[in-house]
Amino acid sequence: MSAATTTRPGVREHGRRPRIAGGRVLTTTALSALALIVLAAILGDWAAPHDPALQNVELGPTGPSATHLLGTDDLGRDVLSRLLAGTRTALVAPVLIALGTTLLGTTLGLLAGYHRGWPDAVLMRLSDLLYALPGLLVLIVLVGVAGGGTTIAVLALIVLNAPSDIRIIRSLALGQRELAYVDAARTLGLPDRRIVFRHLLPNLAPTVTANLLLSFVSALVALTGLSFLGIGLPAGTPDWGLMIQENRTLLDLNPWAAVAPALLIMITAIAATLLGDSIFERLDAGKGVPE
Amino acid sequence: MSELLQVQGLTVTLGDRRIVDDVDLAVAAGETVGLVGESGSGKSLTARAIAGLLPPPLLAHGSVRLSGAELVGAREKALRQVRGRRVGLLMQDPFTQLNPLLTAGAHIAESLPRGAGRDRAEIARRLAEVGIDDPQVARRYPFQLSGGMRQRVAIAAALAGDPELLIADEPTTALDATVQHEIMRLLAGIQAARGMSVLLITHDLRVAFALCDRVQVMYAGRVLETGRGRAVAAAPGHPYTAGLIGALPAVERTATRLVSIPGSVPRAADVTDRCAFADRCPQRQDDCLTGRPPLREIAVAHRTACRYPVQPPEPPAVDEQPVAARPPKPSDRPLLLVEGLRKEYGKVTSLDGVDLSIAPGERVALVGESGSGKTTLARCLLGLVEASGGRILLDGTDTTRPRRLSAAQRRTVRTLVQCVFQDPSTSLNPAMTVGAILAEAAGQARPEDRLPVGELLELVGLPPAYSGLRPHRLSGGQKQRVAIARALAVRPALLICDEPTASLDVSVQAHVLELLRRVNNELGTALLFITHDLAMARQITDRTIVLLHGRVVEAGDTETVLDNPTHAYTRRLVASVPPAPTGKTAHA
Amino acid sequence: MNAALLIARRLVSAVVLLGVMSVLTYGLLSLSPDGPVQALLGNRPSTPETVAAIRAQYRLDEPFPVRYWHWLSDVLSGDFGSSVFAKQPVLTVIAERLPVTATLAGYAMVLTLLLGIPAGMAAGLRRGKLLDQGVTLVALVALSFPPFALGLLLLYGFAVELGWFPTYGGGDLWHYTLPAIALSLGQAAVLIRQTRAATLDVGAQDYVTFARARGLGRMRTWGSYSLRNAALPVLTVAGLLAAANLTGAVFVEQTFSLPGLGSLLVQAVNQKDIPLIQALVLLGGAVVIGVNLLVDLIYLVVDPRVRHGAPA
Repeated sequence: MSAATTTRPGVREHGRRPRIAGGRVLTTTALSALALIVLAAILGDWAAPHDPALQNVELGPTGPSATHLLGTDDLGRDVLSRLLAGTRTALVAPVLIALGTTLLGTTLGLLAGYHRGWPDAVLMRLSDLLYALPGLLVLIVLVGVAGGGTTIAVLALIVLNAPSDIRIIRSLALGQRELAYVDAARTLGLPDRRIVFRHLLPNLAPTVTANLLLSFVSALVALTGLSFLGIGLPAGTPDWGLMIQENRTLLDLNPWAAVAPALLIMITAIAATLLGDSIFERLDAGKGVPE
Repeated sequence: MSELLQVQGLTVTLGDRRIVDDVDLAVAAGETVGLVGESGSGKSLTARAIAGLLPPPLLAHGSVRLSGAELVGAREKALRQVRGRRVGLLMQDPFTQLNPLLTAGAHIAESLPRGAGRDRAEIARRLAEVGIDDPQVARRYPFQLSGGMRQRVAIAAALAGDPELLIADEPTTALDATVQHEIMRLLAGIQAARGMSVLLITHDLRVAFALCDRVQVMYAGRVLETGRGRAVAAAPGHPYTAGLIGALPAVERTATRLVSIPGSVPRAADVTDRCAFADRCPQRQDDCLTGRPPLREIAVAHRTACRYPVQPPEPPAVDEQPVAARPPKPSDRPLLLVEGLRKEYGKVTSLDGVDLSIAPGERVALVGESGSGKTTLARCLLGLVEASGGRILLDGTDTTRPRRLSAAQRRTVRTLVQCVFQDPSTSLNPAMTVGAILAEAAGQARPEDRLPVGELLELVGLPPAYSGLRPHRLSGGQKQRVAIARALAVRPALLICDEPTASLDVSVQAHVLELLRRVNNELGTALLFITHDLAMARQITDRTIVLLHGRVVEAGDTETVLDNPTHAYTRRLVASVPPAPTGKTAHA
Repeated sequence: MNAALLIARRLVSAVVLLGVMSVLTYGLLSLSPDGPVQALLGNRPSTPETVAAIRAQYRLDEPFPVRYWHWLSDVLSGDFGSSVFAKQPVLTVIAERLPVTATLAGYAMVLTLLLGIPAGMAAGLRRGKLLDQGVTLVALVALSFPPFALGLLLLYGFAVELGWFPTYGGGDLWHYTLPAIALSLGQAAVLIRQTRAATLDVGAQDYVTFARARGLGRMRTWGSYSLRNAALPVLTVAGLLAAANLTGAVFVEQTFSLPGLGSLLVQAVNQKDIPLIQALVLLGGAVVIGVNLLVDLIYLVVDPRVRHGAPA
């Protein structure tokens, strides 16, 4: 489990980061990589050179060739086609989780930070509890034992990841709430809803965006991890995580069968992280720091 | 040469930008020199550069000689021998300059020279020197000490190595007025007893004039004027100094008109080859913009970077009436009536039975130091916190329990009372434009009172084009004016001003004060002016209420309270205000 | 508030957390889709006799709180029941596998500390320089490394292609090196970022400047000023790192075919071996709660503000 999944630090050290030389190049690269992957997800089956489920047991595992650009797996299935077929599953659930986590985390965090009182106390105790649980262990057990499919995994990941967002947003909201502009808005008699969503939220936008991307990465890592363990998916599904698991014994015959999905997971995760970071930097700088 | 410290051509750069530009400075043995300037003048960086403690990536150029030894470019190891033993540096914020993990005694002990006995007796002796007679203080951690105590401990630590020169960078700015006064007296006493030299960095001309043998006025990274304190106070040689002195409110008298300096401080790098003050100068000539005026001698040891003699300020125009209070409307009931107001936070009593009343159009000062409860009172009046007891009547409506008000009552209340908050840097939402901020506020006004954004800006003297800007583009004074416009957008009957000028430079303060006086006069808005600054209270209010530990200890006519204070605490407050310079340029 | 009271409060809250976790863990049994009896039967034949025996042994006919109470008292006396598949006491099964995971986790922790703290400090001290840019970028990227994918790439590169390391199985420390690296990189990234931020933060504090202004020696400024103050925020991520270490181990053991607790858990989940799962989850939770408790206690020792109950 990557650090990005359960261990998003409560203290965010954004800001104060050095301007990375060639940051623009990195961002462009990250954006292009993500665009390609999304494109693969959309075209998926159509672009696949072979039927991803078509077996050719006699052929067995072979290295890259003209017909099979990334070779074949144990059952003679085309690795490239399976990768392409797995792209959509790899992206859709993490995107849903990221949206759900950010929506839940931001809303609850804002409300807890702005209103405080008992709802805040309850939320904080709950998130303490969820923090003390090794999140992915819970997920493994939940999906593995209860046998729920993707839906359970998606809901569980939203609940497990939201506390970190809640805490970050809440602490920022608490800080903003002490500022005079919020007092001024309250003195003017503006409704709380307006203060929370029109005044506080725009000031937290950089963090919310960064959280969205980070949640995506952590969900991607968690879900591919789950399928890597062979939990929650029937064998034979074209899935990046499962492909690593099924083909990791073929490293000497056709390493691509396992290395390619591993690389794809890493590239997607890294590109999304870099993009989130760069968006945060841009939005945060745009707000203008008072001199 | 008798100079202990000799600074020549000191320049501080950030990349290729100059922040401090060609500063000369000398401090003789046993002398106290004041380095005076507003924010952005480069005075603190000059101090840091002298001690060799510029934060990277800032770089110092030029020459800093201590008894002839060059410090600029010296090795860190050599500097470490100088720091503490020969040059001490005292910093501004008592809350951040002590290590939170070390006791007061440990700070002093580690600073004592290695040979000296670092025992308890020595630490107690050092604490006694800074007026701490209780040796137990040595065992306390910084968070267990008050701001004044922390600053005393810091002084003891800074002086532990018995330096010949103490650089004190705004050592009292973060403290209450009475404590400021004590610390300044303490520093003066120690200076005299030890015969050491002091370089005092301050933004407060009055403090510099009161304590320093010589003052040096800095602006936009350079020196504009230098001379004996008394001579500069009596006859400033630079229009900027004259303007600053004119902008200083006096506690002894009420000025008919407060003079402010228009505009704001430029960046040093933008004005390298001309007079830095030219853009804001009332007597600018064409040649002020070509070439930098050198420091020229106008009297013995009195030099100015202006080519022309300072002209006396223009007399107020004929049609300009002194802005006075609008006579309170005859009314059978007060606008605001507060009775026995109490507020407790846990075991801490913040307000302990406060009574107060304000008539429509009246101007009242609420004076108190930190912990007096003045801000809590304001927050209760604004409905931001709920009082624990007592009663608040706003124009007859009981607003003591803000949550129990009906929607209609809430609408009425918000057009009755509004507030201008202390810190301009946080009082405007950074994510909204000035126009959006004002339009939102105007939307809360009664339909018949609604003013368009342009008129609101005009009301506070800002051009309409400002409505498209975001707050970070504005200076502190401009932000505070927008905040005033926002408060006025609902045409409140009472405007609470919570230290509205405390974070502003002197030259800008006057402008805000003048604006508030006009608002009161022209719109008939009553003012509750919360401040720790008696001189400020004098300029803008008719009645003064003094708050101490959540109780009103004195109330009455502002003039009577300030000229003849009866309560011991008020007397101490009045005594702690440094006298305003009585130069010929000051408006009386 | 005095220190004893604070310690007591921390202990109580740790115990409460453990309690809540035990309820959740016990509740797992009823989550099982085929019902608890089937889960506990495992691959034994489902005869009326065996079913009755199971119902009696696990008190399935009694209400949940009673069942839970009996289970809890057994657990507290060290009896986690028997693994359905191994037909051995759960604790025996766990004890067999523990050394592998302990070695892996310990090794990874050491690597994380050795890598994270110096790199983070170096970056913080050379703020904005090339070294800082490099370290920050690498840490940012490494933050999103899934250990199983990273592990696979390491396995392929260093074990299969280069042949420097064994491809699978436990043994001497050499066998653990690749898995430990795969496990520690992501955590090291967290530590680097936290350490860098703390170093920057402390370096900009007035008290460090004031210490230098008093001519204090380099070691003194460094030790009792920078290091001690920077250690506090870094300490707070220890609990997170412990959790990451635990969950990461599950994946890494699977990648490298290490027979540790992680593989045991995956195996137990696939076999729906409920008693074993319960014990493993409870153990994991206890470790994380324990680490967090330890961090709280260290805070008490290091920070006088916490010790004296002042807001830090």
